Amino acid sequence: MASKVVLIRGKGVLKEGGDIDQKKLLNMYNRGIQILMDKQNPKDGLRLIFQRSDKVGIKINTIGGRKLSSRPEVSFSLAGLLQESGIQQKNIIIWDRTNRELREAGYGLNLNRSGIKVYGTDTKGVGYDSQLTSHLNIGSLFSSIQSSKITASISLAILKDHGMAGVTAGMKNYFGAIHNPNKYHDFNCNPFVAELFETKLIKRKHKLTILDSLIVQYHRGPSYHARWAEKYEALIFSLDPVAVDHVGWQVIEKLRAKKGLASLKEEKRAPVYLKTAEKMGLGKANPEEIQIIEEEV
Amino acid sequence: MKRRQFFKTAGGTTLLASTGMMNRTSAFPALLMDFYALGGEANLSKVEARYYKKHPDREIECTLCPRLCKLGDKERGYCGVRENIGGKYYTLVYGKACSIAADPIEKKPLFHYLPKSSALSIATAGCNVNCKFCQNWEISQVRPEQVQNYDLLPRAVVETAQKYRCPIIAYTYTEPVIFFEYMYDTSVEARKKGVRNVVITGGHISPEPMEDLTKVVDAIKVDLKAFSQDFYTKYVRGELQPVLEAIKIVHKSSAWLELVYLVIPTLNDSSDEIRKMCQWIMKEIGPDVPLHFSRFVPMYLMKNLPPTPVSTLEKVHKIALDEGIHHVYIGNVPGHSAESTYCPNCKNNVIERKGYSIGKIALKGGRCKYCNNPIPGIWI
Ligand code: SF4
Repeated sequence: MASKVVLIRGKGVLKEGGDIDQKKLLNMYNRGIQILMDKQNPKDGLRLIFQRSDKVGIKINTIGGRKLSSRPEVSFSLAGLLQESGIQQKNIIIWDRTNRELREAGYGLNLNRSGIKVYGTDTKGVGYDSQLTSHLNIGSLFSSIQSSKITASISLAILKDHGMAGVTAGMKNYFGAIHNPNKYHDFNCNPFVAELFETKLIKRKHKLTILDSLIVQYHRGPSYHARWAEKYEALIFSLDPVAVDHVGWQVIEKLRAKKGLASLKEEKRAPVYLKTAEKMGLGKANPEEIQIIEEEV
Repeated sequence: MKRRQFFKTAGGTTLLASTGMMNRTSAFPALLMDFYALGGEANLSKVEARYYKKHPDREIECTLCPRLCKLGDKERGYCGVRENIGGKYYTLVYGKACSIAADPIEKKPLFHYLPKSSALSIATAGCNVNCKFCQNWEISQVRPEQVQNYDLLPRAVVETAQKYRCPIIAYTYTEPVIFFEYMYDTSVEARKKGVRNVVITGGHISPEPMEDLTKVVDAIKVDLKAFSQDFYTKYVRGELQPVLEAIKIVHKSSAWLELVYLVIPTLNDSSDEIRKMCQWIMKEIGPDVPLHFSRFVPMYLMKNLPPTPVSTLEKVHKIALDEGIHHVYIGNVPGHSAESTYCPNCKNNVIERKGYSIGKIALKGGRCKYCNNPIPGIWI
């Protein structure tokens, strides 16, 4: 069966001046989940993915600063939908590696018992596991958020070109869940992205990928360069972590072609880890086995 | 632990401060997250790195080691301790020691360099390779914000060495190449005060910085981890050839050189590989560079193999002697006769060792007391 990937465009979701049209963003989320889960009501769709008792981690990527990170409006809208579907507010954590990066991306930290939590792994009392997780070529300490504070995970990732990986999207976002991501950038991050994803702590908990493609850095990523950042105004959803990243890759390639840039393959940095992931049975990387549903809201 | 708190540990080490190095009872004390308060910042330096090129669009290329990391703004190199900030490259660990101890020089091991001396040994977090058998992964395979760092600028390192009567400073435990600027400046400072410098390295460094380093340090011990690229690719994540080049550079310089080879069962212990390495040593750097074969014990990501049998160590020891290397040692087997130094001419024991303790030294003016044969090394 083909893997479904839903690409929702929301023209105008980024208003002049950079603010987000909150209503439009919510429509994008609702429509994306409706189509992905074949449910009239997005809440029902989310209930098919998460259990009420779940502690849900929304792993965002804030390394790119305010200009190229999942903005609070984007992650909190998703958290709001989760709440409406029955997940308790106190059981939702929006998180990344460090508090500094979260703050720089515009987040206020919240560690209170009530309310949606927002914090980094480097928070006092959080930190990394004391025991190594070892799997194939991976040997890492996991953020205790990923290993013990959540039961289900959403990768809410920024879609970016990446100098070494080719593309950084939903799977590679989990590099931010371990203590030593710098050790896994050789060989276009292959097989490391796939092997990290296959560790129990990710594979068993990962439920949903959403690629925040409001701004897509299609060249010279992963840092922000206005010249090669496209206002793409899309969210891309899938339950298949490989297929969604494959679609993200194609978005980047199209933008690169439109701007007359060489393809990632030509630059010898195609995200080959996707094929590896497919071989490992983590999802589909063959376009013929990916059903893309595109809609404008 | 309070800064500069001292206590004795096994093996003759006096631990000054460490975030995990010597304390093996705790699984990962290096990750002392109570170092952070919510919203607090890590204790990192921001000192411009040496050996890098600037490229357009705020990109840089680090040329310190053979990895030649090319990085965009806000990215860090493979070693995790250097960061591109707005198109300028910075070391984050200058003056940020995460482990400080006074060790016997024999522990490095350096056997032909000032025996019985104490070396103030320092390290920062980080490493430019990722050996699956790393003994110090708690500090080498982490980023500097994941350990507790002690502010210890070069002058303070030298003062600490003097205060605790260490005639030597050793840059060790992790990979000193990645804290090059800190090591270099400390070495310069140390020399001014008559304190010597030794470097314990994997030798995964570019030629230019290695040449520069040899001008300010006195001895370098290189860990040659295998003699095959395949091993370096699979278990070290580095390259063999640059290490061999680095060894040649040290040999040509005025710095004293010793080599260590960790013998890992089935992976780098074949007679053929050992013989080829010894032949390379004989051809390129000669018979007088001491060679230590060290016993592997399972750790980090390599727990599936047994410790190296002593018989294997004895086999490789014999190969090296047969190939003509004069000073071959067996390490991590306390009490083994191959811990001692023998005169290659008369075969008498000229430096008796048992673990890190030294017994009789039968040298006079750097020569064998029995036959007057010169024994290579730095003895005074
Ligand atoms: S020293 Fe570090 S940043 Fe520089 S090339 Fe080596 S691994 Fe990369």
